[in-house]
Amino acid sequence: MVSLEFPSQLDRWRYLEHDGVSATDGLAVDEAIMYGYGRERTAAWPATLRLYTYRADCALVGRYQNLDDEIDAEFCAAHGVEVGRRPTGGGAIIMGPGQLGVALVARAVADETPRRALKRYASGIIGGLASLGITAAFRSKNDLEVDGRKIAGLGLYLDAEGAILFHTSVLVDLDVERMLSVLRIPGAKLSDKAVERVEERVTTVSREVGRRCAATDVRQDFSTGFAAAFDIELEDGTVSDDEWRHARELAETRYGNAEWIRQRSPRRDARGSAVLKTPAGLLRIYAGVHAQTLKSVLVTGDFNVLPVAIGRLESALKWCRADPERIAAVTAASLRENDLGVPHDAVAGAVWEAARKAIELQHDAVHPGRDGSCYFPEPTGPSSDDEAARS
Amino acid sequence: MTAQKDQTGGIDYSRYFDRETHLWVKTMSREVVRCGFDPLGAETSGDIVAVSFEPPGTRIERGAAFGSIEAAKFVGPLLAPVSGSIIRHNHEVAAEPGLINADPQAHWMIEIEPDALDVELGELLHGEEAVREWFAAERKKFEHEGLLAT
Repeated sequence: MVSLEFPSQLDRWRYLEHDGVSATDGLAVDEAIMYGYGRERTAAWPATLRLYTYRADCALVGRYQNLDDEIDAEFCAAHGVEVGRRPTGGGAIIMGPGQLGVALVARAVADETPRRALKRYASGIIGGLASLGITAAFRSKNDLEVDGRKIAGLGLYLDAEGAILFHTSVLVDLDVERMLSVLRIPGAKLSDKAVERVEERVTTVSREVGRRCAATDVRQDFSTGFAAAFDIELEDGTVSDDEWRHARELAETRYGNAEWIRQRSPRRDARGSAVLKTPAGLLRIYAGVHAQTLKSVLVTGDFNVLPVAIGRLESALKWCRADPERIAAVTAASLRENDLGVPHDAVAGAVWEAARKAIELQHDAVHPGRDGSCYFPEPTGPSSDDEAARS
Repeated sequence: MTAQKDQTGGIDYSRYFDRETHLWVKTMSREVVRCGFDPLGAETSGDIVAVSFEPPGTRIERGAAFGSIEAAKFVGPLLAPVSGSIIRHNHEVAAEPGLINADPQAHWMIEIEPDALDVELGELLHGEEAVREWFAAERKKFEHEGLLAT
């Protein structure tokens, strides 16, 4: 059980439910709620929990991602997919009736680090999944996983007033083919291999419980999960007039504003690949790089079942700094010696080779073409398949 | 001014440190100060994915946001250690935020023309003994929280 360190008489949180929201309204209302938790602290509740769904479909990129590198804008325009930019970090996601949006807003606890806050807030999601009979665990880069497969992505936004927004997208259900069309992953259009690869790395509530669920079917499990994890009661509430006014302003100036949605980082994203010879066969490593950060790593090979070590390695490397020492350290911490049949410094060397090629492309200002997502990087690299295998 | 560096943490004791934000301030002249992350601030942030800054000319108060940072899926404000006007930001760091992790003291983020330098420097930590003690205590705290390797 987790304490929020509020007086017991205040252990009632406001609870909000919304469905079919647009990308703009969904994000604007989340941030508007934060106004009550700034220095002036006008909110009547110690926290507000909003469990909601987006209309089918919305594509949301992370705070600093390059939109064109993440989203197939042509497909989105043709199919009515609304695009938005979150205030939180992380990768591009698709949201709709199959994904439960979670927004928890509170006053940030003094001296609490983001990592600790994320873990604390994630206990509500873990509790919700547990009430569905699903055992989920926190993994290195702020995702929740079930047996090595991602089931929820977490993010955190702290504003300058000290209000904190915890965001989660719970994969209750996922149309992988649709997601691969919205996010920039063209390999899926050539074969069904990409779908299989996503399904090896991602799971859903539907898959875990063995029946098709919509987010609204399981929402109550998550409200119960939060109430139990934080030992609070949830009180049905509404968005106040002031909050709606703030939300309308934010929709105009930020979340519905093209300048916000289309902002770019100084460098284009790029990708590279390398191969690694192992006793079990060749592994191909794809690295997507944003600035000097590994935004995605995918390891493919001729295996029937994705080795747990590979899923763990991919997760650990995501969002880590793309330099050889950092990659070597993360790889060494993630893999046991000979997990893949080769020393981990050989694995790290191959990851760095893929990342280095991507970085060189950035510096050469070559348009990177299509790129990866938080689920799955593009499986076709700029380097040819006949490049020399590492030994 | 010659930088005096701690052998283990690489702390430049000639700088001023904001205890709330783990940012350093270096006086370049009476009219210009630079600021950036101290080594503990950079290390406990995790891999920094992105930074953005308010444009030059923006007036900021001490404690107000002069920019924003993303690390490990967390996005949060960068809070100014001194009041003043932003003169410029470091384009190199904006393009490659990982440089902050690699060498936080060598990579400043913004330059500020301070409003009340003498007063506000007094609110920052300065001097080898005080800084050394504070860093040791902070390091211990972060190690206890699992944010730093012991």
